[in-house]
Amino acid sequence: MSISLPTYTRREMPLLGRSRRIRAIITTGLRREFKRPAALIETVIGVAVTVILSVALILFRQIILPRQALDLTFFFIPASNSVILFFVTLMASVVGSALIADDLQSMALTLYLSRPITQADYLIGKAAILAPLITMIAVLPLVLTPIVAAFLGLFSWTLALQAAGLAVGIGLLLTAFYASVTLLLSSLTRRKSYAAAGVFAITFGLTVPADILADRLSIPALQYISPWDNYLAVARAAFGVAGNPLDWTLSLAILLVAIVVASLLTYLRMKGVEVVSG
Amino acid sequence: MFGEVRAVDDLSVTIPDGAIGLVGPNGAGKTTLLRLLLGLVAPTAGRAKVLGRNIEEGVPIRERIGYMPEHDCLIPEMTGVGLVTYMGRVSGLDTNTAISRSHDVLQFVGVEEERYRKIAEYSTGMKQKIKLAQSMVHDPELYIFDEPTTGLDPRGRTEMLDLVRAIANSPGRNVILSSHLLPDVETICKYVIILDGGHQIAAGELRELLVGTADRLRIDIRGDREAFALRLKEAGYDATAAGSSVHVARGPGVESAIFQIAKGLGAEVRYMGREIRSLEEFFIELVQRNESGGG
Repeated sequence: MSISLPTYTRREMPLLGRSRRIRAIITTGLRREFKRPAALIETVIGVAVTVILSVALILFRQIILPRQALDLTFFFIPASNSVILFFVTLMASVVGSALIADDLQSMALTLYLSRPITQADYLIGKAAILAPLITMIAVLPLVLTPIVAAFLGLFSWTLALQAAGLAVGIGLLLTAFYASVTLLLSSLTRRKSYAAAGVFAITFGLTVPADILADRLSIPALQYISPWDNYLAVARAAFGVAGNPLDWTLSLAILLVAIVVASLLTYLRMKGVEVVSG
Repeated sequence: MFGEVRAVDDLSVTIPDGAIGLVGPNGAGKTTLLRLLLGLVAPTAGRAKVLGRNIEEGVPIRERIGYMPEHDCLIPEMTGVGLVTYMGRVSGLDTNTAISRSHDVLQFVGVEEERYRKIAEYSTGMKQKIKLAQSMVHDPELYIFDEPTTGLDPRGRTEMLDLVRAIANSPGRNVILSSHLLPDVETICKYVIILDGGHQIAAGELRELLVGTADRLRIDIRGDREAFALRLKEAGYDATAAGSSVHVARGPGVESAIFQIAKGLGAEVRYMGREIRSLEEFFIELVQRNESGGG
């Protein structure tokens, strides 16, 4: 065997900053996700179904919602579409559950954290892989709905843009919740299937019992344990829908606290992982 | 010099340039020392510098370190060239430079067309080479190799040691080689740090450490070494047969006694001189001394 060292000049250019290193994690991560059939199919179907349903709601409003007023409250209906919840949960479980769990399983975390990045950089990169994909389902249909409606002349552009802005806000809230919680679950196990099951458990395991118990026991406060019901409470307040069963400020606080706590726990978990083991 | 390190407990050493061996039994503190060097943990007391920087700085230190982990850590669904390029980019190289260097280092480690195959399909030897390549891609000044020959067959081990030696001999590059395989350390490193129980029990130039005291001789003989050592003992000398040699304490008339006994046994004295131990012998001696509290 002959050995010859690379002939390039050492350090011919300075290393790029940390934001570029994080960007490398994001772009490579997104490219890897779009090579996975499951992630690709879920993204295409999820985006298509939620967008089509939202647009159909406008086109067939007189049949589907004959008595719905054509004001800001109209846009709560696409925002409260439980198909969005389903596809957001599916996206989080298909893509998000593997983001850290796979690195723990393959021990690739050692490669990342022995590089000139911090645990926070790594987590930001991973979150930024998942968040845009969730956003495509949680935000895109809600933004397209008022814009299509304005194009059709059903709403003024002022109202449509106001609705689109609110849609971005509540869509990002849902995105942040699912991204942070999914990454926490993914960081807790080497098996992505466990993390995926955890995402479904948090969505449906909390929402369905909360709704049933709140209805049966006539205790609306039980819905505070459901992230979806908290999201709906915030969305109702945002779009000015009357008859909110929950205090939207408390619901918003619950979601924000959950996002912060999940992010903090994920960070602490990453700090605790021993990437150099002997 | 690339740093003064104080780690685990009562470890204080200034490590020179070049290839440095880090050896010690399990639990000796090698892993903790590696974590310290990578800036992944901070010392609870004392101070440590790597490449002139305090280890608390972390990120700037890791920009200049290439780490090859002991365990499998590669992303199975990526190609060899894809992973090495990716790690270059995460280290801060722009995409074009990362690709270019990735091909350079893969050429260097001997991964040819296989670089376009998925890592999941690689043999253990190939994976070790990819691990080595990813540690080199950003052209660091300090390499940390953690058991680089683990799981390799004899040919793969020789190839890997040749690569590590080539890096260690390159100007401006320093290597820390952590290994249980003491012959690997002995063949690569000029300097060695020996840890046991969280303490540094020896550190220094390998050549100096392995040269025994002037009052002992090593004799290489062709013949029955056990009988040779026994005859020396009977003649009143402190002698032991160890490995391929016989070791004996110097004393009045020892040289003539050696040749007389050799003649009597029909053995041939092939070497007689100052005792030089192997790293393994030295290590065992130190650990035994440490366990018995002899410091």
